[in-house]
Amino acid sequence: MFPTRALLGRSVWKGPNIVPLALPRTLPPPPNTPPIRTQKRAATILPNFVGLRFAVHNGKTYQDITITEEMVGRKLGEYVATRKRFTYKQSKNK
Amino acid sequence: MVFILGVNFPERNLLKKSLQTFFGVGNDTSSRLLARFNIHPTCRVGELANKQVLDLTAVLSDMKIENDLRREVLNDIKRLKETGTYRGRRHALGLPVRGQRTRTQIKTPVRLNRMERRL
Repeated sequence: MFPTRALLGRSVWKGPNIVPLALPRTLPPPPNTPPIRTQKRAATILPNFVGLRFAVHNGKTYQDITITEEMVGRKLGEYVATRKRFTYKQSKNK
Repeated sequence: MVFILGVNFPERNLLKKSLQTFFGVGNDTSSRLLARFNIHPTCRVGELANKQVLDLTAVLSDMKIENDLRREVLNDIKRLKETGTYRGRRHALGLPVRGQRTRTQIKTPVRLNRMERRL
């Protein structure tokens, strides 16, 4: 997994990785709107995402994140962990 | 003994190396400083004219070095952690931040990476 694609230095001529996401028509979205489900972890967080809720795929499930101002310019995937901490599980049969 | 930015340096020390003892001034910055004030790279601290000492101190006090720089780095790490990024989490766990392998050889991040990073 890439820790952050922002570090890898994308070419300027390409511009940010703008992914067509199903953004709500009305801003701010009415309460109880379901979060925007996406698997596009490499999508750049744009300034108009601030305040929206995203359900980002972590490889297995979708995890909710709320976009804040500081997250602009980073990628969606940076805020959703893909790995589980290793824990030793006691096996019953030897 | 010569005072540069409030720090006492012995006269026979190399000026370039003495400048590098400040956190945030390395090889490149100290060479540039010497070049800027027309000081030879092998100049000793004791050979400085009084005006040159004052010039150096004035420039150094404008730069972001020592505790200001340390605070900035720590704040950057803290911000990463608070926004919940992967990098912030790696700092907090004491693991490599930039995608290195962790199967072997992670002694340096284990020693250095933490919320209050050792600088």
